[in-house]
Amino acid sequence: MTEQEILAAVQEIFRDNFDDDTLVITRATNAGDIEDWDSLEQINLLTAIEKRFKIKFKLADVRGLKDVGDLLDLVARMAG
Amino acid sequence: MTAVNRYTLADMRPGLTESFTVTVTEEMMAAFAAATGDVSPIHMDGAYARQRGYKGRVVYGMLCGGLFSTLAGVYLPGEHCLLHGVECRFARPVFIGDVLTVTGTVTDVSEFAAEAEIKATITNQDGQKVTRGTIKAGLAR
Repeated sequence: MTEQEILAAVQEIFRDNFDDDTLVITRATNAGDIEDWDSLEQINLLTAIEKRFKIKFKLADVRGLKDVGDLLDLVARMAG
Repeated sequence: MTAVNRYTLADMRPGLTESFTVTVTEEMMAAFAAATGDVSPIHMDGAYARQRGYKGRVVYGMLCGGLFSTLAGVYLPGEHCLLHGVECRFARPVFIGDVLTVTGTVTDVSEFAAEAEIKATITNQDGQKVTRGTIKAGLAR
């Protein structure tokens, strides 16, 4: 998958989780940009990404994620 | 007193299932009304409920949803659980005296989040599915 394809799929997950069909994310988007992006929503986002890309994260994989860019890079590495 | 199960994150595997049975009583309805302040006549007044087309007072949907708290906190996973979320669908009305079977099956486990997803159902004594739900259960590491 290209980064653009991953971004599009991740954006759909964000829109679904935050109930906002107009939400647009970029590599720079982080938890400070979305009001409801708290620790529980982080889990919901990551578990939805696990299902969508058929991957399984370890705690060490996700501990240092700072923004959507880090997340996209992680998915690209794991999904191949 | 019911024994509390002690499944750990490592024990939680897709397909693992637990269930229990409970009969809805007047006392449970009174306790729910007292705890929540929901005194809607559909739950409190049998004549009113019958006028609305039901055979008697309708049991609170969230009382049934509360049984998912019992499912997670006592049976699956039990002691190590801290609920992250519950989504419920109240498919059919429940009435006082109904015998409910509450069942949960692990459908997914996220190791990084120490969280299990549990598909949960409640069926009545006639085998009808009255409540469906999805439980997100966090587990102590």
